[in-house]
Amino acid sequence: MRAAVAQYYPAASWLHALDARAKIVAVGVLSVALFTRDAFISLAFYSGAATIGLIVSRVPARWFWRALKPVLWLVALTFLVQILFAPGEAFFRFGPIRLSWRGLELAGYLSLRLIVLVLFGSLLTLTTSPVALTDGLAWLGRPLRRLRVPTEELALMVTIALRFIPTLLAELETIMRAQRARGADFSHGGPLRRARALVPVLVPLFVLSFRRADDLALAMEARCYVPGVQRSRLHPLRASWRDGVLLVAVAGIVVMAVAAGTLW
Amino acid sequence: MTGLGMVCEHLSFAYQAGEQRVLALRDISLSLAPGSSTALLGPAGSGKSTLLLILRGLLDPDEGEVRLGGVGMADRGYAEAQRSVGLVFQQAERQLFAATCEEDVAFGPRQLGWPPQQVQEAVAEAMERVGLSPALFARRHPYALSGGEQRRLALAGVLAMRPRALLLDEPFVGLDPAARRDLSAILRGLATSGETVVLATHEVDRAWELCEQRVVLAGGGLAASGAWDFAAGGVELLESHGLQVPTLVELWRRLGRPLAHPPRTATAAAEALA
Repeated sequence: MRAAVAQYYPAASWLHALDARAKIVAVGVLSVALFTRDAFISLAFYSGAATIGLIVSRVPARWFWRALKPVLWLVALTFLVQILFAPGEAFFRFGPIRLSWRGLELAGYLSLRLIVLVLFGSLLTLTTSPVALTDGLAWLGRPLRRLRVPTEELALMVTIALRFIPTLLAELETIMRAQRARGADFSHGGPLRRARALVPVLVPLFVLSFRRADDLALAMEARCYVPGVQRSRLHPLRASWRDGVLLVAVAGIVVMAVAAGTLW
Repeated sequence: MTGLGMVCEHLSFAYQAGEQRVLALRDISLSLAPGSSTALLGPAGSGKSTLLLILRGLLDPDEGEVRLGGVGMADRGYAEAQRSVGLVFQQAERQLFAATCEEDVAFGPRQLGWPPQQVQEAVAEAMERVGLSPALFARRHPYALSGGEQRRLALAGVLAMRPRALLLDEPFVGLDPAARRDLSAILRGLATSGETVVLATHEVDRAWELCEQRVVLAGGGLAASGAWDFAAGGVELLESHGLQVPTLVELWRRLGRPLAHPPRTATAAAEALA
């Protein structure tokens, strides 16, 4: 079983080897820039960047497809809404339905933009291990420490949460099996009945999770974890010239895309 | 209560782990007579739990056939036959969820749609059988019980469904000596009360004491099945699969006594030696 969030695909690629911080900044900048100009020519640059990323990442295409699948209905909805309610002169009318070239253009643009956005996000999570990702976020969030935001602790919490998703899923499966062996039925009846059928699963799952959290907290304390104290890292984040190349390339793409979009 | 006979023919099963298939059982054929008690032995990862899940119908085998009381998987009445197989999971107390012991034990019988009177009777009987007197325990919160009591309560939850076959997955794990002794006594009672019992365990001493025959799994395959046969290679069989030889059998071997009928309990050993 696999969680839908933050999937990581280990591979030996150029993108995997990059520093998490550089990748987070790059994806952040690209995602924001994606929304600054409404022009196909800009989008072409971003799609190009995403495609290159896809190829360089050495992650099989179906992994990206897996990430895209859940968003496709949103894409379809955006497309429909844009087509039906877009401004511009209609070239086709049928009752309340009217199609305009401007509507089609907007629909295509917005849908494609969503897809590219998801691809950028997947490129980050698929090529960056959850630990590196949280470390990177903690580093980037350091200025917030002045506002007394416990960034290191938050990062550690996220890491632990991600680590326990598969464990909890396995636990969930065992409990469901056990209750099914006692005659529980999770797949029949109306929504209310199904929700009630989950009580014998959720109560033990919560109890076990709290117990596990308690044990983990004690075990961490026994190994001298003190919140708020500066800790050293097993794998310190290390920036190299490659990260510089990535950031310069991203800046170049954004400048060209924005310029082209403005001039178009 | 008449026990349920269970037959497996050429069972194979593989788990899907990410992109890979991991073979858990391969070509298992065995027959468990009605009312028999069988120890299911084998190192960790040898397929014991998987076999129990298949016998209870919570996993479908990739290949092969299961017959419960003569009813095959494709026959009408197979679902019904499956409901007469009780499965007690490893650390079964982890599945307790209700606000009172009584409620928790009643969960299974209610799912079976029994009338309230029958549910009441089944709950009281099951709690008695595991040594938790309803008068004392019925209204207590399951999480307020000791570990051993919780384990027995979970067992009662399965017994209340009046299974004709009882499968137990490592029932002794994590219990203190007193709780083990209590559970042993309960299982001894079960083994003689007519239900077919399958006990998957690493505790060879308990298995030898409680079960009249044994099945040995190794690497997903069947290494041996049938009666214990320490006189005819049974000791070497266990040792070659990294399993422990029952302490009393080992004692008999070191004393140079014949291994045709080694004692099953310390009392029997003491009598034989006296």
